Amino acid sequence: EDAAEESNVSAELIAHRKRLVDEWNAWRAKCRKELGEERQDPKGRGGEQEEQKEEIAIE
Amino acid sequence: AMSGLRFGHERSLTQIKFNKEGDLLFSCSKDLIINVWFTDNGERLGTYDGHNGTVWTIDIDGDSKLLVSGSADNTMKLWQVSTGKCLYTWEFPTAVKRVAFSPDSTQIVCITEQRMGYQAAIRIFDINREGDGTQQSEEPVSMFNPIGSKPTVCTFGITPNVILTGHESGKVALFDAKTGEETLNNERAHMDVVTDLQLSPDRTYFVTSSKDKTARLHDTRTLRVLKTYQTETPLNSAAIAPGKPYVLLGGGQDAMSVTTTSSRQGKFETRFWHKIFEEELGRVKGHFGPINTLAVHPSGKCYTSGGEDGFVRVHHFDESYFKAKPYGDLEIED
Repeated sequence: EDAAEESNVSAELIAHRKRLVDEWNAWRAKCRKELGEERQDPKGRGGEQEEQKEEIAIE
Repeated sequence: AMSGLRFGHERSLTQIKFNKEGDLLFSCSKDLIINVWFTDNGERLGTYDGHNGTVWTIDIDGDSKLLVSGSADNTMKLWQVSTGKCLYTWEFPTAVKRVAFSPDSTQIVCITEQRMGYQAAIRIFDINREGDGTQQSEEPVSMFNPIGSKPTVCTFGITPNVILTGHESGKVALFDAKTGEETLNNERAHMDVVTDLQLSPDRTYFVTSSKDKTARLHDTRTLRVLKTYQTETPLNSAAIAPGKPYVLLGGGQDAMSVTTTSSRQGKFETRFWHKIFEEELGRVKGHFGPINTLAVHPSGKCYTSGGEDGFVRVHHFDESYFKAKPYGDLEIED
């Protein structure tokens, strides 16, 4: 009986965590979409730039 | 679970930053010196020597050419990363408490302290990247004095001309860089001083730490609090781990562990929290005084902590750390 109760609790916890992750992932997808739209719109040009790598020489 | 490197300064660390590639680690301290180290072996590559007071803050530009620093000697300095040469010095009436480059490295924002009849000020400078870097403008392109609580931390927001700040009162705010107008705030983001503010790689969210013993995750556009990490100790720093759903928190120690932990082992711990579930996952010991500053490698492969004890520690996460999924197979977006 105890074991059954425990597995109920953990099922609840797992469902709760899944909800938190779904909520987070949905928000991240929305952020990415907004960022993408801003970058296509020249007026809303963001500061993020393309990867720019340069070697630096250290004396 | 982790291997560590330890090296150091003569006095307490104030800020540590990785460059964009993560091969270099920059640290500043109350010993007046800024150091640059190789991330992989902790070997010191060089120093940036010239400040006459505590160096409170540093930042590195996007291509690791320029370093900016702010000091208690009332100056902000621009340095050539590769040679250690000071390219330009700006002088102010009070200490410089925080500096940050814009995402495209063409501007710097800084906070100067309120003191002796001078209000706290936020200034934004255009950085001339042509030539040898010594031709900089003495005057800021804009300057404003935030009304109300003093700013303690600042950086650039997502869109141009937006400055993101944390304040002594616990407030976080957005300012229009041109007009100085406070365009949005959350007065109750924290109940005490905001001690650190670090952005996610795409700048859409950020983490703050506070003396109120919590760290919080916020939406950069709306300043809505997304997550809260409640600890038992005043926090000095918080960092987001790229590629893993973790935030790292550093500060003092629990009142309880003062008496129960041996003082021989560094008992001041970096705390790992699950970013989404708001649960503490573990701690890594290693400092003999409060942790003042934390930074995570841009690839997420290691992190560094700087302590009141003068030590810089680099911890390389081992394979088991990367494989561990303590919460099952849920795929979490970065």
